[in-house]
Amino acid sequence: MAPYILRRMVSAIAVMAMVGIFVFLLIRLTPGDPAAVMAGRNATEQIIAGIREQLGLNEPLPVQFIHWLSAMLHGDFGTSIFSGRPVLELLLQRLEPTNSLSILTLALSVAVGVSFGIQAAWRAGGLVDRLLTVFSAFGYSVPVFVIGYFLVYLLAISVAWLPVQGYAPIEEGFGDWFSHLILPTIALSLPFIAFVARVTRASMLEVLSEDYMRTAAAKGASSYAMLVHHALKNAGVPILTVIGLSFAYLIGGVVLTETVFNIPGVGRLVVDAINNRDYPIIQSVLILTSGVYVLINLAVDLAYTLIDPRIRY
Amino acid sequence: MTITRRTFMESALAAGTVLALASALRAQDKQTIRMIMEDIQVFDPVFSTSSAAINHATAIYDTLFALDANLLPQPQMVGKWDVSDDKKTYKFALRDGLEWHDGTPVTAADCVASIRRWGQVEASGQLLLERAADIAAVDETTFKITLREPHGLVLETLATTGQPLFIMRKQDAKRPATEQVTTNIGSGPYRFNADLTKPGARYVYDRNEQYVPRDEPASGFAGGKVVKVEQLIWENIPDPQTALAALQSGEVDFWMTPVADLFPTIESDPGLVLDTLGQNGSDWLVRMNFLQPPFNNVKMRQALLHLIDQKVFLRLLSPDPKFGRTVSSMFGVGSPYSSDVNTDWFKEGGDLAKAKQLIAESGYAGEKVVILDPTDWPEGNLASQLLANVLQKAGINAELAPMTWSELVVRRAKKEPVAEGGWSLLITYFSDFEIRDPMATSLMLMNGEKAWYGWPQNEEYEALRAKWPDTETQEERKELAREMQRIWWDYVGVVFLCQTLTPTARSKSLVDMIRFPSIERPMWNMRKV
Repeated sequence: MAPYILRRMVSAIAVMAMVGIFVFLLIRLTPGDPAAVMAGRNATEQIIAGIREQLGLNEPLPVQFIHWLSAMLHGDFGTSIFSGRPVLELLLQRLEPTNSLSILTLALSVAVGVSFGIQAAWRAGGLVDRLLTVFSAFGYSVPVFVIGYFLVYLLAISVAWLPVQGYAPIEEGFGDWFSHLILPTIALSLPFIAFVARVTRASMLEVLSEDYMRTAAAKGASSYAMLVHHALKNAGVPILTVIGLSFAYLIGGVVLTETVFNIPGVGRLVVDAINNRDYPIIQSVLILTSGVYVLINLAVDLAYTLIDPRIRY
Repeated sequence: MTITRRTFMESALAAGTVLALASALRAQDKQTIRMIMEDIQVFDPVFSTSSAAINHATAIYDTLFALDANLLPQPQMVGKWDVSDDKKTYKFALRDGLEWHDGTPVTAADCVASIRRWGQVEASGQLLLERAADIAAVDETTFKITLREPHGLVLETLATTGQPLFIMRKQDAKRPATEQVTTNIGSGPYRFNADLTKPGARYVYDRNEQYVPRDEPASGFAGGKVVKVEQLIWENIPDPQTALAALQSGEVDFWMTPVADLFPTIESDPGLVLDTLGQNGSDWLVRMNFLQPPFNNVKMRQALLHLIDQKVFLRLLSPDPKFGRTVSSMFGVGSPYSSDVNTDWFKEGGDLAKAKQLIAESGYAGEKVVILDPTDWPEGNLASQLLANVLQKAGINAELAPMTWSELVVRRAKKEPVAEGGWSLLITYFSDFEIRDPMATSLMLMNGEKAWYGWPQNEEYEALRAKWPDTETQEERKELAREMQRIWWDYVGVVFLCQTLTPTARSKSLVDMIRFPSIERPMWNMRKV
């Protein structure tokens, strides 16, 4: 397995390098000027030109690229054009909220989605199965911000049980941290619960119709043993794939939830950076995100061997 | 243990009560004011003209002079000052007790360096530097400005509010104006708390316990800057619905720029209040490219003045009539220099027949008119679309060029014809306070290349503007302003679309906020009850 992991790590570096070059060129070829954004709405041409010169934005593209590449190879992600602070520091500040939200969302989605999917498959055509169909349609079709606003109105404004917005770091207290994440986690989880539940149901239905399940039933295995030990383990590969994809998607795709609940996460950092043309932040975050994507895929591939002994690398 | 339905309900209620209690305690903290403000992209108020940078600087830096509620300059950091009989030498002595946030004393050398850096970018500051033979420290706490010729606006310049002269430490102020100062060490009533600040999300300011306010009561940006709370927290909440919910739930106390479609909800909430805080509002305008056809022809510009009906743009940009009005004076609505001179002929606007007549007289031959359309700025986008529609009705070959604001600021600098990537018209706004006199902003210049985008040129107007600093009384300036306005509207320097007022929203428990005509806000004196 070690050579396989090594090969995948090398390919991850290649992917990140390609993403880096692509992003570098794309954002610089897109019209827009960070100097103009910094100077303010009605700044004069002379002031903007001075800032552009100071930031080195007048240098030819190949020169800028070599500066950037050389810094990256030395592990320097650069400095934000706007705040003047190191990109890595800004990114680390924003990772905790995004990771907290992603992990809680994933935990809730897996717990509820897998249970829901198993129940629906076990009693296919029954009430739970039909409820899942309705819930899935709801989860897929209602946008996160609609659910978010509804939850805020219900639980934060009407009964004032939970905070409307913001994020409290975990070191300031678990209760405050958790209470700030309840509403965004529920809002963000609904489509993922629907997704995981549908895939679990489909996968379980296929396994439950296998001969060995009938044999297990004939041997007197309990419902729990049949579902968890025999069926779920064999239905696990597609479920694990979906969970892995969901986590990767969550890391980069929580922008809307972070905006609605005013969570200072990575998603908002990137959106603000794109609006302002803060090149070092955009480049670094996208490169790191691509790396995380590749690593999660690798972790999922390796996890297959744990639940399916037939898979070997 | 079996969980019964009753146990479950009791547990849920208990959990809800605990959470609600925590939320209520947070809201009742009277020593912290939480405000929804714009994101501070740049901290340096010389490097950037954005109102966010100016508000930040107003909190942490101090100024030599400041305008009071009557727009008169009053000493702030300065204790005593005098002027020589020939009116060429001004001497300023700093008041006692001025100290930087790092504990070192404020010196005259800091003031001199700050004036020199700020004077590189601010219009009235540039003029002061041009007229100054020398600006130098006399001793640790005294400095003087020696002029080549008398300059009637020295105190007004030092107290200017659009891009104020904030005093920075000498080592910060020695940087070029195009290099950002990020140390955030001032001598003002608040200290910037970098540890609790999260750029892009939250900015925290602690009360400066060492700050010695003046004895006079607060008035505008002048008087005693008494901070009555321990901490200010500025939140950047980009989503308006979330911002409103945070205000309604008491999680924040103040919202700087609520969006117009939420005004009715805010007004109907008994715990909230909408208040302009004395702001004069924003003057929306069309700027023409004076270098290229067809608006290099004065008759086309005059046709545009006849064509625009401000009441129509008002309905679009300020649906609530309480928060909008028309503008006709080149100095806006709230300036002492505002007048009706030479405005009768176009004031009503919406005169299609007259506009068509002027267009015909101009010899317009269907040249393409490109309107820069900022699609990521909803109001600017709507106003651009309406403008295109109005022009097309008058037979002008108008075309929208959709782009982001960031792209627009690059394109507006192009002087070439539209066929080579240039432009004809763009929409923007200036605060009414910014255009209050002809020295306040580059929009008021008509000196070609040095003027704001569009680059108008009129020697007669510029000759009058050059006299402005030499006037000594407001009456003299008023007379001069009337003469300048006569030329301005004959030439058509801009075409106003309307003025919108942006009220702030706040909890009724936040009181004693200082009222002032500018967009920027004094952050002292206020308290929670």
